[in-house]
Formats: sequence, C-alpha cells, structure tokens
Amino acid sequence: MTVDGWFIAGMIVGLASSLVCVVAAVLKKKPNDVTLLALAAVELFIVVYAVASIVRLAMGAGIVGAPWEFWGYMFTAAALPVAGFYWAMMERSFWSNYVMSAVGVTVVVMLARMAQIWYGTGLSVQGLQQGIGS
Amino acid sequence: MKNTDNTTADQVTPGRTSGAGRLLITVYGVFAISASARAGYQIATHFGDAPVAYLLSAFAAAVYIIATISLAKPGRTWATVATVAICIELLGVLVVGSLSLFDAQAFPHATVWSMFGKGYGFVPLLLPIIGLWWLYRHRAAASK
Repeated sequence: MTVDGWFIAGMIVGLASSLVCVVAAVLKKKPNDVTLLALAAVELFIVVYAVASIVRLAMGAGIVGAPWEFWGYMFTAAALPVAGFYWAMMERSFWSNYVMSAVGVTVVVMLARMAQIWYGTGLSVQGLQQGIGS
Repeated sequence: MKNTDNTTADQVTPGRTSGAGRLLITVYGVFAISASARAGYQIATHFGDAPVAYLLSAFAAAVYIIATISLAKPGRTWATVATVAICIELLGVLVVGSLSLFDAQAFPHATVWSMFGKGYGFVPLLLPIIGLWWLYRHRAAASK
C-alpha cells in the first residue's frame, strides 16, 4: 500500500488516542476531559480527511478502487467515535476508557484499508487485506 | 467484579453486561461490523469465485451479530443465547482453522476463521474462549 501523509497523520492521532485511553484506564480513571478529547480528536481527523478527500476528488484526483467502498469505510470510521462515546458513557467506569481505546486502533486499521482503496492494491498487500474490515 | 460473588437469585445477571463485559461486547461489536461488511462486499462483488467461503463468511458474521446482541442483553435467556452462539463460534474457528491448515485446497479464499484467525491477530480464536470464561464467571446469576 502507498503510505501517504494522511495515513501517517491518522495513525499518529488514532494510536495516541488509544494510548491516552489505555493509560487512563490502567490508572483506573473514569472517562474525563482528556480521554473524551482524545476520542474527539479521532472524529475530527476523520471529518477533516473526508472533507479533504472530497476537495482532492473535485480537483481531479481519483480513487483507484471502488469509491463506494472507500466512502463506506469513511462513514463507518466517522461513526465509531460517536458509537464508542455513547457506549462508554452509558456506564462511567474505568472500563469505559478501555472501550474508548478500541476506537483509535480500529480507525487506524480502517485508514490503512482506505489508503489501499485510494491508491489501488497490489498483490504484495494480500496479507494486509486480511486485516479487520477487509 | 468482586460484587458478583454475592448476587442473589432475583437479581438479573448483574455484572455480565457491565465493566469488562462492556469491553468484550465492544470487541464483539467491531467483529460483527467488520465481518458483516466483509461478507457483504465479497458476496456483492465476486460471489461466484468461492460461494462456500463467502457463505461461511456470512455465517460467521451472523454468529458475531447474535453473540454481540445476546452479550449486551441482560437476563438468563440472553445468557443462554450468548453461550450457544459463542460455542458455535468456537466450533467454527476450530473446524475452519483446522481445515484451512490441513486442507488448504478446500479454503483458498480467506474467511475470518481461516488459519485460526491469523489474519486478525488470532483474536477470533481468543474471543470465544474469553467470552465463555466471562459467561462462566457470571453463571451463578444466569442459572438461577
């Protein structure tokens, strides 16, 4: 797969978000402003990525793979932090931070697949295609 | 989780759907979504290539969806449903995993359960074991 700036930025945001949530959970902290902002950062990145992707397409860039698959991933990735937030807030315990930590890494895996669809996939990435969501 | 030791009969499975249970439900939810999306995509785009493997993907997705919902619902009936679903899941990953290992020709197209879920970091193999252990831990509240 082609690793572009979007994937690197998304990976940093997603993994940092998960790390913050796991650390907070290990410290037995309930969800607080720090972990909620970590979750919000993932959502913000997805929104920025979606808008930027529309702009890139409008300026003549093209998706090599199936566009509906790309946007399906985008939509699901955008829904994950919201779903994670609701699911975590229904019971405010330190376990909620573990729940929220699952969002970041899942989004990173989805971003990897989205980069594959955007740039097209070669045979060399067959192994990665077996990842979650492929 | 210590408070589950002194549960009384009239209480409805306290603890099973809370705490670590919510994390378990979350992981099952992620697998339910990804397995459904994968199966849907495979069947929609190239079903003719490997109908058996893709129907198996769809079956796996259905099992994950049922497991997610039943784990999230309180009550002993849902606990039973969850146990049955997770037993099927464990059986599925063991049978499909073994077949894909010893008879690779039979499964050229990957499913979630191929090679014991190697493509998913062996989470599909660990998940039902953790799930059954979790249900077993909360059996007292579930069986009364």
